[in-house]
Amino acid sequence: MDRDNELESRIDEILKAEKENKIPRMTKRDYIIAAVITVISLLGIIGGFLL
Amino acid sequence: MSRKHDVNKEIENEVYCGTLPVLPKERKYGFMDALLVLSGYCIATWSYTQGSYLATLVGFKQLLIGAFLAAIFMLMIYQLPVILSVRYGIDIWIWLRSVFGPKGNKIVTIIIILVNFPWYAVCCELFADSMENLLELFGIHLFNGAHLVLSLSCVVIGTVIALRGVSTITWTTRILVPLLLLVGVAVVVVGFTSVPMDVIWNYQPQLAGDADKTVNYVLTIEANFAFVITLVGGMAEVPRLCKSEKSGYYAGVLGQGAAGSFFVVVGAVMAIAMQYVTGKMVDDPTLMMATLSAPILGLSSLLLVAFANIGTQAVGSYIYGVMLKSTFKKSSYKLLVLVLGIYVALLCVWGKITEYFGSFLTIGACVYAPLAALLFVDFFLIRKQKLDLKSAYELPGHNAYQYSKGFNIVGIICLALGFGFTLLIYDPIQGIIHNKILFMLTPTFASFIFTGVLYLLLSRIPGIRRYIRRDTHASPDKRPFDRAKTPPRQNLFMLPILWLICKITVSPYKLKIDKHNMEGIKPPFLVYGSHNSFMDFYVTPLALKPYRANYISELEGFEAFGEWIYRQIGCLGTRKFINDQYLIKNIRKVIERGDVMVIYPEARYANVGTNSHLTPSIAKLAKILKVPVVTINMQGNYLQQPIWNLKERKGARLHADLKCVVTKDEIDKLSVDEILSRISKELTYDEYKYQLDNNIVIDDEWRAEGLHYPLYRCRKCGRDFAMTTSGSKITCKYCGDSYNMDELGRLHSPSGETIHIPDWYEWQRGFVHEEVREGKYKLDIPVRIWALPNSVNFVDCGEGRLIHDNSGFSLEFDNYRTEKHETLKFSAKSMVSLHTEYDYRGKYGPCITLSTYDDTFFIYPTDESRDVFNPTKIQFATEFLGGLYK
Repeated sequence: MDRDNELESRIDEILKAEKENKIPRMTKRDYIIAAVITVISLLGIIGGFLL
Repeated sequence: MSRKHDVNKEIENEVYCGTLPVLPKERKYGFMDALLVLSGYCIATWSYTQGSYLATLVGFKQLLIGAFLAAIFMLMIYQLPVILSVRYGIDIWIWLRSVFGPKGNKIVTIIIILVNFPWYAVCCELFADSMENLLELFGIHLFNGAHLVLSLSCVVIGTVIALRGVSTITWTTRILVPLLLLVGVAVVVVGFTSVPMDVIWNYQPQLAGDADKTVNYVLTIEANFAFVITLVGGMAEVPRLCKSEKSGYYAGVLGQGAAGSFFVVVGAVMAIAMQYVTGKMVDDPTLMMATLSAPILGLSSLLLVAFANIGTQAVGSYIYGVMLKSTFKKSSYKLLVLVLGIYVALLCVWGKITEYFGSFLTIGACVYAPLAALLFVDFFLIRKQKLDLKSAYELPGHNAYQYSKGFNIVGIICLALGFGFTLLIYDPIQGIIHNKILFMLTPTFASFIFTGVLYLLLSRIPGIRRYIRRDTHASPDKRPFDRAKTPPRQNLFMLPILWLICKITVSPYKLKIDKHNMEGIKPPFLVYGSHNSFMDFYVTPLALKPYRANYISELEGFEAFGEWIYRQIGCLGTRKFINDQYLIKNIRKVIERGDVMVIYPEARYANVGTNSHLTPSIAKLAKILKVPVVTINMQGNYLQQPIWNLKERKGARLHADLKCVVTKDEIDKLSVDEILSRISKELTYDEYKYQLDNNIVIDDEWRAEGLHYPLYRCRKCGRDFAMTTSGSKITCKYCGDSYNMDELGRLHSPSGETIHIPDWYEWQRGFVHEEVREGKYKLDIPVRIWALPNSVNFVDCGEGRLIHDNSGFSLEFDNYRTEKHETLKFSAKSMVSLHTEYDYRGKYGPCITLSTYDDTFFIYPTDESRDVFNPTKIQFATEFLGGLYK
């Protein structure tokens, strides 16, 4: 029961932190960079067929 | 004894603390910390095995592309869901409960361990190889079977270390990672200095005559996809300790994609160098260093590699032992570690894990690829980056992820089909390609795409969506339904299917359709229909055949059957009893493009099979549109499935009259009242009279059950909410007055009195009108509220308070849109009627709905108010206050 209570209070704290953005989120820019790297990697893989 | 107790306690704590969500203030890792930890995990000695395996397939340049770009490409995609681990401070094993259910997750955990643990057999094999090779260099020949003894000794020592618990493992890790780095550095130096650089750069493998270079390149990409994807199991616990989403994500990508891949390339360089010098390709760093430099370097590296392999085996047993312990809480940690040890030992006894390295990689990926796809789609596209943490942790009262007795059947089926799909493309055991086109995508990536698309498509089917998304309260889709969106014409391809479904549905009830004054009536025209039950939607398309039509539908139908399909069959979504200008515009568009527009003007099912009063607005609309007006009066639909008991009555017989009541020529000439009068006349109905007149026998024993919802007031003692029903009887629970419903729908008292059900119904209405007139009518009760903002989901608004009096409705509740406790007012004059349900969807009980432009609130009684909540009485009061009845 104590463990359930601790878990519940932790979850509430996590959800509060989420709302307040205490853990910095991936921004739109970060996602765009990720997409660019992914596309470059894919192009590289396709290019490998030519070698 | 004391030591045993300590280890168990330590592990219990580790399991407990290891599964708790990590709070922001407890996070330890920035990007660099996480990168170092994850890099440490990725650079085990198996990287060399991977490198030498790749060198047997392709040249060095393609190998580089495969090792780095393929790894990074796959990691960029499948590491994205790690963001959720960081956000909530949890590892993916907790999250997977939402995808597979808690019990399904146990099965998946076992499968993952089964496919993952051969990595540790590879370590043991490497350990045995190192020992053998080095002893051979010193001229010592071992006895037959020594290899197995050596590999098993690695298993035993690793398992013993794992059994000693957390602190021993911590020390092992502290020593292990620098050691592996040291070995790596030594291999790099020796490998690159012992052979000319151009030998490595221009390296091409000696392929068998029938080998296909393209296939080999794809196998390389596949091996790298599989290599990075199967390591996720061991890495799952790190991101939750990161301080930001970006650091967790990129540490995962670069830890494997850069550091891990670098050591794979090092392994390849080592293998190429060995082949150049000795003509034999090996994956053992010890042998390479002894051969390419000096035996003394080999000897010292032996100690490093030996400990590294034993250490990796120990850490692996520990990580997966803890993972198993968190899944199987009642099992002993020691037992679980021993089972893992036995599994690795069996693989060592089999002795072919290195030979089947590529096969085992792909088999692992067969499981991991669909798993990664499920996580990706689940996180971004289905749960929209939200998780119900309390349900994931199975806290009491939070059961969103229990699904079917703890198994999410949809997730498990997708995983199984994804696995099967990979095998349809490629047989990893025998190396046979079954489908070359899909093979070009690589089996792992093809399976990833297939599973992701399958899961996404399944989640779009309303019933499945509701099954998967039982956690909508945690992340509801709040976007309001787009009422302005132009409805498409009824899909021509769907039309025959629709007619077929309608035909099959009505066939047991012998539908007969009569058409009157319909000669020469062609679209566009306006249809007003009677509204008795869902059967109306099956009868109307058949009556209008061969024309296609558009229908007005309440939004909950869109939610129940799915927006796409509802739009394809021509439905216009709206909310009831609101002033929806977009609806008028869309009706006009339907008419302008030459189609039939069907409206059920009562906007609610008949409670007792009789029509409601109609408002002049329907006649005004007809005048605005300037098209013929047709009525469809359907009989028997109510008898077949009355709203107060949704069980189907097989004895019902259906009939429909389609009649043109106003021609195009008449529409301008007739007044609104005249048009209304014609429509009202044709839409007057009494289902019980129809039953009696046509001698329709409905002999189901339960035929009166639920009738107490519309007939709530006792005729004898005059008490409201007094009636109960059972079988064919309706009885007052206070005075015992009782009536039996006969097979022709009449009620009979024991004294011989016969009552026509609509008479009783209307008799009650009079009392409500009187209460309202005298100012005595007031409802003030606690209620349970669910909002329907769109066609996707309901939003649980919790408990609130409903007040209904002469001024209208007040709904006091926690508004999920504003996140404030608010009171919404619905004035009495704004609502001519009210949507009511007696047992919503056959399982949610009685409710009423109130609508704003962006929400429909489904309002249910609580346990406290159940006895005084009657939708019929509330409806009577609403219709009187709204002016529908005088």
